[in-house]
Amino acid sequence: MVDAITYDVVQVTLLSLYVSGSATILGSLIGVPLGAAVGLKEFGGKGLLKTITYTMYGFPPVISGLFIYYVFSRSGPLGDFGILFTPTAMILAQTLLVIPLVAGVTITSVSEVDKNIKNTVLSLGASDRQATFTVIKEAWVGVITAVMIGFGRAIAEVGAAYMVGGNIEGKTRVLTTSIMLETRMGHFEYAMGLGAVLLIVACGVFLFMRWLQERELL
Amino acid sequence: MNEILTTEGLTKEYGKKTAVSEISISVNEGDIIGIMGPSGSGKSTLFRLISLLEQPTKGKIVFDGEEISTSSSDVHLIRRNMALVLQKPAAMNRSVYNNVAFGLQLRGVDKEETERRVSEYLEHLGLTESRERNARSLSGGEMQRMCFARSVIVEPKLILLDEFTANLDPQNISILERAVRDFVKREGTAAIIITHNPFQAKRLCNRSALMMNGEFVEEGETSRIFNNPSDERTKAFVSGEMVF
Amino acid sequence: MKDKSPLVGVIVLAIVMILLIGSFAIPPSKQRLVLATTTSTQDSGLLDAILPDFESKSDCIVDVIAVGSGQAMEIGQNGDADVLLVHSPASEKQFVKDGYGTSRTLVAYNQFVIVGPTSDPAGITQAVNATDAFIRIYQNGTEGDAVFVSRGDLSGTHTKEKSVWVKAGLNISTFSDTWYFSTGQGMGAVLDITEQQTDKGYTLSDEATFYTRRETGIIPHLEILYQGDTLLFNQYSVIPVNPDRWPNVNATLATDFVNWLTSPDTQSMIGNFTDAFGHKLFVPNAGPGSAAETHRLSSQLQAAIAIRTD
Repeated sequence: MVDAITYDVVQVTLLSLYVSGSATILGSLIGVPLGAAVGLKEFGGKGLLKTITYTMYGFPPVISGLFIYYVFSRSGPLGDFGILFTPTAMILAQTLLVIPLVAGVTITSVSEVDKNIKNTVLSLGASDRQATFTVIKEAWVGVITAVMIGFGRAIAEVGAAYMVGGNIEGKTRVLTTSIMLETRMGHFEYAMGLGAVLLIVACGVFLFMRWLQERELL
Repeated sequence: MNEILTTEGLTKEYGKKTAVSEISISVNEGDIIGIMGPSGSGKSTLFRLISLLEQPTKGKIVFDGEEISTSSSDVHLIRRNMALVLQKPAAMNRSVYNNVAFGLQLRGVDKEETERRVSEYLEHLGLTESRERNARSLSGGEMQRMCFARSVIVEPKLILLDEFTANLDPQNISILERAVRDFVKREGTAAIIITHNPFQAKRLCNRSALMMNGEFVEEGETSRIFNNPSDERTKAFVSGEMVF
Repeated sequence: MKDKSPLVGVIVLAIVMILLIGSFAIPPSKQRLVLATTTSTQDSGLLDAILPDFESKSDCIVDVIAVGSGQAMEIGQNGDADVLLVHSPASEKQFVKDGYGTSRTLVAYNQFVIVGPTSDPAGITQAVNATDAFIRIYQNGTEGDAVFVSRGDLSGTHTKEKSVWVKAGLNISTFSDTWYFSTGQGMGAVLDITEQQTDKGYTLSDEATFYTRRETGIIPHLEILYQGDTLLFNQYSVIPVNPDRWPNVNATLATDFVNWLTSPDTQSMIGNFTDAFGHKLFVPNAGPGSAAETHRLSSQLQAAIAIRTD
């Protein structure tokens, strides 16, 4: 009995890291440049765009799941890809949740960089793109924070993962959906244990990133 | 005498408001030009126009023999020949060394050469001991000295300084003014200094202009302007009596 | 002079991710059958017990998606599953009629039970049938002595509950929310809520969930107070999704699944299945579904009814 539980938890944990890690990476690859672009440029409607981004912090995960479900269901437009009830669908649904968070925190960090830095850097001969990269580098700590927050949101959510993953054992069952299942079945202590595992794993990821930061590797 | 920069009829309008009106100046090798005036005179806008941070409404700028504008495709290469030193030092979140070396790194200068030149400038500005410190931890004066070194290490043809010693103590002011003088003399370049302090212009600049409401009220050799001003306003300004 | 690149950390993380991706993104080698079923079916543990037999016989993997009945049928309607195993007869018949399902085959049944506090303020242990029990709860509820907790989620259990109220001649929409709680929750959560209504809470539950929660000590104050009315019969059926409607479904494997589920060997496995506490939870009754539902009463049910009418 003990062996089976250990095996299940390890597999479920690794899948959680895979799904939420991939969603964080994908979401950051989109969210960081988006946030930097919005943060650095002045344009009409910038305030509105920022408000919409911050509002999306509260986007319910289950709605993201519903949306992805509708798009990739057989009865939906992209059903032929057959990715429903696979980890790929879960990654996509979580990515939608990560993007606004990463973009929003990046906007804030980048805006706080002294405006004169961009001018100075331009005056030293940097091209527009180089200047943008330098500003992002100045805001780097904030950008890394944005990514960590995005990861936190992804690994802790259950609505989207359950909706588009189906909680299939061995295939799409992650820590959060396992907790839901065990709670539903009345195995409260086991569920709490899984919750502890999730927190420890998330903590481990963040500690590792801090460690890299301290050694100036990140 | 080499002409480094000239402007002709440089004008900037914001809707109905005219910030800079028909400014024509000529800057030659070895010149340190002072543009003095009270706040709101348009001198900072003039600074931004010449440094290509903003597009003029009218007029042209000729730099190093070529007409330039913000819409040039190689505007960043043009900027590489103009150094800017601003009033508020903007230190990048890295070591003093890496701040000063930034321009060289952009241009792909090799590590040894970079090391040599950065060390030299750090020494010249009294920053050798702070080499490895994070630039954000410097005092106001040290940071400004670092920003100056950062801007001139790339050997620009022209340095533009906007109130660069405002808020600094006399010792730092002295170090920085000396650095400007030395640099212009040594490299055969020129400098334009924007200042609200007539005494700084008197100390540093060979030619000066008084700017008010977007126009030059009077311009010429600094000694003449100070000893024999023709306009009443100039007289009031250079004596330090003008209160705004 | 320090010359580290902040990209080293990014590269390290990227390598870790690539390793994870490598272990999970490998395409499956075996055929998969997507089975949409209800949470009560999965939670009983039956599927964990019997599916490996099918998986080895057909050399495939069964992907079990356990959601509420309503959601399971919605998934089937959208062509996202190959076969359904649910317990909502009226909706199932409609499903097949509308052309979403090929056929409806009975698999097994168990019963719903009415649970409540040992003190039984509504006196339903004296009820002569399920309808009578519900009427007693209603009468005591309106007087403030009883509370009924409902699934409220269009699940099989909820549908059954509603049909009993209807048979009792009562109109749910007139029920006050001071004594009738429509929760929209799963069976386990509903039982927990019922337990919290000290000496007052009643609900309709499936046997399996009740026994599990009872044995793990979560609902120590609830008991089965009424059972045995054939009205509380809970029929599970299997429905393959119609390949004419959804060509992408694995129709052959789905048909094999139906045949296996109704084969004598599997049926006997189902009948012998007990939960972790020794309760037999299902009575196999494979056979074609029909408009007028026929079923064989198990000895358990018959005995229960006999006690009732003593």
